[in-house]
Amino acid sequence: MPKSTKLHQLKELLLHEDRDEIALLQDKIKSLESIIEKQEQLAYHVDPIIDKKLKQYTEDIPEKLGPTITESLKNEIANSKDAVVDALFPIIGKMIKKYIQQEFKILSEKINTQLQKSFSFKNWTRKFKSKVSGIDEENLIIQELAKTEIKEIFIIEKDSGILIANFSKTNTIDKDVLSGMLTAIKSFVEEAFKTGNDSLESIEYGLYNIHIQNFNSYYFAVVAHGVFDNAYKGKLEYELLNFAEKHLNKGSHENISIKLAEFFNNDNL
Amino acid sequence: MTTSKKIVLLGHFGVGKTSIIRKFVTNEFSSDYKVTIGVHILKKEVPVTENDSVSLIIWDLEGTENIDLINKAYLLGTHSFIYVYDITRPVTFFNLEENVIKLKEKFPKTLLKTVANKIDLIDDIKNEKYYKILQKTDYTSSAKTGENITNLFDSIANALLS
Repeated sequence: MPKSTKLHQLKELLLHEDRDEIALLQDKIKSLESIIEKQEQLAYHVDPIIDKKLKQYTEDIPEKLGPTITESLKNEIANSKDAVVDALFPIIGKMIKKYIQQEFKILSEKINTQLQKSFSFKNWTRKFKSKVSGIDEENLIIQELAKTEIKEIFIIEKDSGILIANFSKTNTIDKDVLSGMLTAIKSFVEEAFKTGNDSLESIEYGLYNIHIQNFNSYYFAVVAHGVFDNAYKGKLEYELLNFAEKHLNKGSHENISIKLAEFFNNDNL
Repeated sequence: MTTSKKIVLLGHFGVGKTSIIRKFVTNEFSSDYKVTIGVHILKKEVPVTENDSVSLIIWDLEGTENIDLINKAYLLGTHSFIYVYDITRPVTFFNLEENVIKLKEKFPKTLLKTVANKIDLIDDIKNEKYYKILQKTDYTSSAKTGENITNLFDSIANALLS
């Protein structure tokens, strides 16, 4: 018997069990490879569909789930008001506190600046006024800082809304269009509530106040910034009556804008 | 010297009042229809002579078929009315005569012009079916092509200044 055959027979005898195990392992590897290959093939076809559906689903979330989420939140807030307040209070409280601190800082800086101008004539006048009236100098300064300032005055024809005259410290939108719109708003309010002869007397927005003073064929619209209290309103009404008597009741409306500027640019109010 | 005059455009919904004003003031036209709510005001200065011009303060009122329903205050102090209808929709001019009479009764001194708009949408203006209504109309116009828009406002400015 040749040597190689004997070796082969010997291998057969010794490695028989190992070979079976190797064959079993090879089968398992093949089976796994096949599964992976099939999954990759499947993924190649299925992934785009899933991606598309997922994208669509994400896009539809606000529309489909939005009302439900809003409703749930509403219910949650309604059912646990105290918890919500407890959670929000520290955040909102801090924000308000910070804002007030900032505003006080600005006010304090302005007061300091005013006080530092100790040799100005205005300061001596204020000190004198404080002594005479008994009002603290600081209070007088605060009053000065919160002073109302007239930004614009319009004299407008009551029926047509056409601008007769205008005095302005700013150049904003078209004055003619603004006069027309003011008249339209005024007419709308007066007509809508049908309160007889009552007229719209003021419009407020932010720190601005539009004071409206009606006369027979025209009206004044005064845009003021700052504290618009009754005392200031009274003074303004008096000045507008004076102006109307002097310049508007004579028929001619020539050069009224110039007269208006002269009358109010001195900040007599 | 510039004189300000109030012009008010009236008519049914969707007849093209806003489009006419936009074409005249900004030379723009859009076929997108946006309904006017309440009132919208625009202005354009029209030179009449070498030294004189008229500042037209144009009030674009929301459309209504019955002028009695318009807030009276919007119409007060008007120097000229422009009553607009859509030539392609008879429903917008069936009561033209009635509304014109009402306006003339209430505002006898105010200038009034009637305008048939959207004239670009009809092929044959000489067609019999348009004859009767066009007899009662001062201007035919198209906000889309700009036909007669400037003429309309120029003639009003001239009439008001004279």
